Amino acid sequence: MELTFFIAAAVAVLATIMVVTQYNLIHALLYLVVSFLAISVVFFTLGAPFMAALEIIIYAGAIVVLIIFVIMMLNLTQEDIQHEKEWLKPRIWIGPAVLSMILLVELVYIVTADTPDTYRSTPVEAQAVGMSLFGPYVLGVQLSGMLLMAGIVGAYHLGRQKKKVIHRFLERTDA
Amino acid sequence: MRLNDLLYLLPLLVLVAAAILTMLAVAVKRNHRVIFGITILAHLVALAVLLDLRGIQASLPPLLMVDGWGVFNMGLILWTSLGVTMMSYAYFEQREERKEEYYILLLLATLGACVLVISQHFMALFLGLEVLSVSLYALISYLRTREKSDEAGIKYLILAAMSSAFLLFGMALMYAVTGTMSFPEIGAYLRSTQEIPLLFLTGFGLTVVGIGFKLGVAPFHMWAPDVYEGAPAPVSAFIATVSKGGMVGLMVRFVTETGGYRNTSMLLIFTIIAAASMLAGNLLALRQKNIKRLLAYSSIAHLGYLLVAFLAGNQLGVEAVSFYLVAYFITTLGTFGVVALLSDNERDADQLEDYRGLFWLRPGTAAVFTAMLLSLAGIPLTAGFLGKFYLLASGVNTQQWVLVIMLVLNSVVGLYYYIRVIAVMFAQPEQAPEARKVLHPAISFASGATMAALALLLLWIGVYPTTLVQLIRGLLVTFMASR
Repeated sequence: MELTFFIAAAVAVLATIMVVTQYNLIHALLYLVVSFLAISVVFFTLGAPFMAALEIIIYAGAIVVLIIFVIMMLNLTQEDIQHEKEWLKPRIWIGPAVLSMILLVELVYIVTADTPDTYRSTPVEAQAVGMSLFGPYVLGVQLSGMLLMAGIVGAYHLGRQKKKVIHRFLERTDA
Repeated sequence: MRLNDLLYLLPLLVLVAAAILTMLAVAVKRNHRVIFGITILAHLVALAVLLDLRGIQASLPPLLMVDGWGVFNMGLILWTSLGVTMMSYAYFEQREERKEEYYILLLLATLGACVLVISQHFMALFLGLEVLSVSLYALISYLRTREKSDEAGIKYLILAAMSSAFLLFGMALMYAVTGTMSFPEIGAYLRSTQEIPLLFLTGFGLTVVGIGFKLGVAPFHMWAPDVYEGAPAPVSAFIATVSKGGMVGLMVRFVTETGGYRNTSMLLIFTIIAAASMLAGNLLALRQKNIKRLLAYSSIAHLGYLLVAFLAGNQLGVEAVSFYLVAYFITTLGTFGVVALLSDNERDADQLEDYRGLFWLRPGTAAVFTAMLLSLAGIPLTAGFLGKFYLLASGVNTQQWVLVIMLVLNSVVGLYYYIRVIAVMFAQPEQAPEARKVLHPAISFASGATMAALALLLLWIGVYPTTLVQLIRGLLVTFMASR
């Protein structure tokens, strides 16, 4: 079981490095999804299946939505589809695919293994997570609500103006 | 967590309720004056309920801990935030943009700082810090039409997120070693081991990066000048006071409760940071012609001074930190208040030239500004002098000779650039300034009265500090006894 943890962790690190080093946004996002999947497997091997599921639903799910937004903003034309065909070479998708394949193999192994015990201690079930979130840590949950409120109010204010702002380094100086 | 425990959190609940109320009020009808009134009222109510919490020591396991130190810091934060609100009305009334969201964010940022000073758990620490930071991201770049606000906001966003990552990783490492995230339990673990594990030290070091960023001490100070310059003047005041004060409050609690003063490597790290901040802050301020940047460098230096008392770690040290925080908050509020007062609707009055001959044009404002600058420099009869005296006493008391000598030398260097600003104010104006658009007297009255009150407070504490010292000692009884 220990080995599955290390492999998944290695995949996560590798995928995340690729996210940072990719120039193309979409390619980076592909690796980002893989990175989330790998972290989810890490959670799973550490005995937190509920967290693993949340990781997939929230992060990988939300990121897919992000991809959709990006594609919507790109305003696709026939020319872009042509570009897409040129871009979508094995060289691009083979990396994320191999990494995902490793994770899939791991998952199959974990599920079919004889000893379904986890890396450390007993698994933490959804009920236990809920009990502690709304038991001792209820103040923390409420504070997170305030955090979201600050984020939304801030984003609303900053996002609504369309004033063109030029960075001071790009300003033209009338010498 | 029982219903009774909520009584101890009433000041926080008032802030939360006010933030929500403000948001709903904005949704119904935008009215700057009404929103301003709600915000002022919320601060006053929160301060009133805080009065009942004096002398209370209530632990709300696992996250929060309300004791004398927390109550003192919450009171300080609420008063300061009230001051920032008072000076905001006139400042934002001149600007054409939507003003109302500012107050929601200000209330939330204050809430975050209050949570920070009463947290006794990494989780509460992080949530408080994030509420504060996320509100600040938007506050810093609030005035979208100004070119530098975006730059400042982005800089703060990236660096704050980066430092949060450091902080989180550090907390994770400490959790991995000790198996707990609550400060008292970490302290218990460390007392039970002979030698502090290397992994724990690594975690602590990473946490110092996060703390150091928020405090704006060298070598994590690079953001301060740009952000202070780009942010609206009241927000700069808020960053310099509430955001830093909240972190100081947390740091003292964390190090005290985990018994960090027995940790020699920690003491060494903070000694270096303190010395570097004093030097960097003062030397960089020397050639500065922009008042907001100058104040940013000065605040870097002041946090360095503050660390001298923090390193003392005894009763006198904590007292000195408290006293200095009060003096520093009053002074910083005053200086940024003057900057906000003199700003017109085009830009902030941040150039040294804007202050030329101020004494002959607006003697009252110039007098307040002079008093504040003298206090920053540490001239007798001001709160700043007594604060610095307190710091020196605690430094000498624990024989930190290097830091004490650094403090004295740096104060002398600091004197130069504060006096330079004062000298500019007293110089004759070169030409008669063009007539400025004068606001309705009632609007600038709020700012003016706040400035006058701050100046009086500064002198009062400088001449007769006994009241404040007794207040601090009374509140610290429970905190010091629990160690």
